[in-house]
Amino acid sequence: MANIHTFSACLALADLHGDGEYKLVVGDLGPNGRQPRLKVLKGPSVLTESPLPALPSAAAAFLMEPHEPRTPALALASGPCVYVYKNLRPYFKFSLPPLPPNPLEQDLWNQAKEDRIDPLTLKEMLEGIREKAEVPLSSQSLRFLHLELGEMEAFVAQHKTQPIRRQTVITTMTILKKNLADEDAVSCLVLGTENRELLVLDPEAFTVLTKMNLPSVPVFLEASGQFDVEFWLTAACRDGNIYILRRDCKRPKYCIELSAQPVGLVRIHKTLVVGSTQDMLHSFTHKGKKLWTVPMPAPILTMSLLEQRSRGLQAVMAGLANGEMRIYRDKALLNIIRTPDAVTSLCFGRYGREDNTLIMTTRGGGLVIKILKRTAVFGEGAGEAGPPPAQALRLNVPRKTRLYVDQTLREREAGTAMHRAFQMDLYLLRLRAARAYVQALESSLNPVSATLREPLKLHAVVQGLGPTFKLTLHLQNTSAVRPAMGLLVSCLYNESLYALPRAFFKVPMLVPGLSYPLETFVECLSDKGISDVIKVLVLREGQSAPLLSAHINMPVSEGLVAA
Amino acid sequence: MAEEKAPTTTQFPGTIEPQKPRLKKAPEFPILEKQNWLIHLHYIRKDYAACKALIKEQLQETQGLCEYAIYVQALMYRLEGNIQESLELFQSCAVLNPQNADNLKQVARSLFLLGKHKAAIEVYNEAAKLNQKDWEICHNLGVCYMYLKHFNKAKDQLHSALQLNRHDLTYIMLGKIHLLEGELEKAIDIYKKAVEFSPENTELLTTLGLLYLQLGIYQKAFEHLGNALTFDPTNYKAILAAGSMMQTHGDFDVALTKYRVMAYSVPESPPLWNNIGMCFFGKKKYVAAISCLKRANYLAPFDWKILYNLGLVHLTMQQYASAFHFLSAAINFQPKMGELYMLLAIALTNLDDSENASRAYAEAVALDQSNPLVNLNYAVLLYNQGEKKKALAQYQEMEKKVTLLKGSSSLDFDPEMVEMAQKMGAALQVGEALVWTKPVKDLKSRHRTTSANKSSNLQQPLGSNQALGQAMSSAAGFGKTTQLPAGAGGASQFSKPPSLPLEPEADPAEAISSEVQEQRETQKSSLAPE
Repeated sequence: MANIHTFSACLALADLHGDGEYKLVVGDLGPNGRQPRLKVLKGPSVLTESPLPALPSAAAAFLMEPHEPRTPALALASGPCVYVYKNLRPYFKFSLPPLPPNPLEQDLWNQAKEDRIDPLTLKEMLEGIREKAEVPLSSQSLRFLHLELGEMEAFVAQHKTQPIRRQTVITTMTILKKNLADEDAVSCLVLGTENRELLVLDPEAFTVLTKMNLPSVPVFLEASGQFDVEFWLTAACRDGNIYILRRDCKRPKYCIELSAQPVGLVRIHKTLVVGSTQDMLHSFTHKGKKLWTVPMPAPILTMSLLEQRSRGLQAVMAGLANGEMRIYRDKALLNIIRTPDAVTSLCFGRYGREDNTLIMTTRGGGLVIKILKRTAVFGEGAGEAGPPPAQALRLNVPRKTRLYVDQTLREREAGTAMHRAFQMDLYLLRLRAARAYVQALESSLNPVSATLREPLKLHAVVQGLGPTFKLTLHLQNTSAVRPAMGLLVSCLYNESLYALPRAFFKVPMLVPGLSYPLETFVECLSDKGISDVIKVLVLREGQSAPLLSAHINMPVSEGLVAA
Repeated sequence: MAEEKAPTTTQFPGTIEPQKPRLKKAPEFPILEKQNWLIHLHYIRKDYAACKALIKEQLQETQGLCEYAIYVQALMYRLEGNIQESLELFQSCAVLNPQNADNLKQVARSLFLLGKHKAAIEVYNEAAKLNQKDWEICHNLGVCYMYLKHFNKAKDQLHSALQLNRHDLTYIMLGKIHLLEGELEKAIDIYKKAVEFSPENTELLTTLGLLYLQLGIYQKAFEHLGNALTFDPTNYKAILAAGSMMQTHGDFDVALTKYRVMAYSVPESPPLWNNIGMCFFGKKKYVAAISCLKRANYLAPFDWKILYNLGLVHLTMQQYASAFHFLSAAINFQPKMGELYMLLAIALTNLDDSENASRAYAEAVALDQSNPLVNLNYAVLLYNQGEKKKALAQYQEMEKKVTLLKGSSSLDFDPEMVEMAQKMGAALQVGEALVWTKPVKDLKSRHRTTSANKSSNLQQPLGSNQALGQAMSSAAGFGKTTQLPAGAGGASQFSKPPSLPLEPEADPAEAISSEVQEQRETQKSSLAPE
């Protein structure tokens, strides 16, 4: 394993030493994103490696000045800074200009510095600013607002002398040609920041040439054209929209709403290809008109451009979560490359001395380098065309069986008789059911009482192995409001088999809705392994007909049988 | 390199220079947003484990002040179904940054998912104050109003969402509202615009196709369904609807090939097996038809359409006792359909229970509005029982319905039914029924499936064999014992295209009056999943 954990934005190919041998620059996040390193690879091996102060968010190689030797510089965006390397040596560090603090906030802290304001008032005032102000508070004030009362004093004492600062970070970076369209022309760096701005930097002086505002935080950035002539910047943002900006406009000119998060952005000539979290590739014109949509079989992890200059081919590569890397030209699938692990970053271009090299890193930290045959031609039709394969499968219909045929024949012959017999039996069944029901109602054999005046429910549980069992009767009054009083429980049983300490007892008042467990012990007197039924009757005082009854099938006493 | 780096950085002329000396006095605060980009990248790649670990770390470092980390955590909770937790987190985001409309939108979204539509509307209105021109707010407000049944407000909001930015989803919702209000034409207009806007959305194409189907505009329906299938050859709804249209036209083999695709991907769909069963029925493979229908019935035991078809196939197979069971089950689920009672009556007639048969016919006649077949069959039964007067009444009733139908549409009647009616007219000595003359000419020799079997159905009550019945039927003037091969009743196909459009959505009202029509049913079932 090459142990490289990175994103497509942090991969760059460049002829760093000007010897015609292209190297791969990797801004490596390290395992779990803990050891950020800058790695330069030659072939499959690491040439140099150096630790970085913070996680890199993007890497790019660009030409700083038009003079010879034309060796490109390397820019690495990390936190609020861009580190620029020349000949693989640190050359310059550009930091984003700090954001202007909120003047009111500044004023408050100045007062605190001179001890003209107590911490509580400070807190209230800051809260007020947070609610309304356009300019957000600095992290110092935000931290202060979250403090407990006791800690405030110390915090103010410690921090009041410090000027309040607001710093932002770089989220994405790309390069834009300065004034020539040539392959090796001087390029500007374009930075996207967390405070929703795009900055274009001068390649030599590293001053901010222009600043543009976005409605949301940029995630992916694409640039085309030349800075001094006319250019387009395309930014895929965290609100799921893609904004297209042009020279001389501070605000986005077009907006594409995806209604999902973009996971990759590739520009081919004047069309944009965007991968979304809905497992789709969408294509739009540079004016935001929708062109086509292709569904993907798995979530897209990363996307990049494949450009084969010798044949004038430009295609989109998409690394999917199922370990496939798909190549599309417009809607047509050109090829699928299967990798042992899901591809997390992609890069295509000149590597070493080979013009068309594909570099992929996988989720587990692997590095895959593939070289395109010089004679290779991408043909369409590698994808699924024509009817889906399932169309050729036979339907799963069960075969005709002998039995089925016999039964059908019998029904044809004797249909009427069958029908009559069935109807007759059905009537008999209904009659019997009705009779049994009436009988049960009449003799109160059912565990739910039938009288409207005393709606009761009884359910019995027998516990134990024997010879002593515990019999629990759950008695519930199901009426809505009326409590039941004056009820008795009587147990009928074979006295030669069982002995009950209490065969007849009173039931307490039953509050509606509650289930009352009434417990009694049953002793089995027989050692012959036989069991019998115990009948439990619930009666009303002064009435001989039971309200309801339950027949409890007692289990065999295992305790005695075992003995 | 590492060693080199440290010294060089300090030499960089830059903005951080002046802060350096202060670093010693007080600990510097980390930039709250410093890892946001990484959190976001993990989130969009659906690498939730890495994302959560990072968020935890980030929140520890910033003591819970990192708004975006909380925001993404809440999004992930919502994906996992912990909507209440996500709502609480979004609310704390809104406290950290009350100016951000996004936080409010997400609070509202969580409320919406919890079914608290009114609360969601309030929060969306709050968010709308912060961000006037957001289609998402308008769209979601529209959806909330839709669930609260304030259709007019919902439509207003959705239209304004469309003005801000066009999205397929908004079109779909707007179309749904029109359907809920029963305005089929308006819904079609909306979907047409939607298809214009995004011509490759199979869901839109399929829905539009189904709507045309309901209106009986088969050409356009088929066009749109076909388009949907071009873009997605495995689209469930489109296959079912297109297949049922093919069945109506008798292309059973083509329909079956299409169904095979579905049988592979959605093997447990009751309407699919119902349609496959009726395809086999159309191809006269009755045993296969029965096994497919029985599978459909097993998958959806309470679907009366499947039971209806099963009853019909069993009638065709002369398994009257089984047919009786399926039909009576169907009637239990759908007690308002005349044709079902009629079929039940046919089964009963064949089971020698003419008493119940006439009761079933009476019910059928009472319920049915437009199908002359019901009256004709009843007339035949009455005639066979010798009740000439009542038979005559039914016959006249049938003539009325036929005249009505001819006026409203140019259908051709099933030749067998026409023949039967003519015989009946002769037997009843009604003047040669003029009603029929025209249709008879128009008759195409449509393939009739099993009607032959059926025609024998009704003969049996008369106790004569089929051959005799047919032979005698030509001599129309015979007495009661003459068999009017009443079979016509059971079997004749009578197409009633208008029946389909009547039901806008799931409710497939009409069972098919006869076997050929079964395919129609299938369509209905296909509409049902909506």
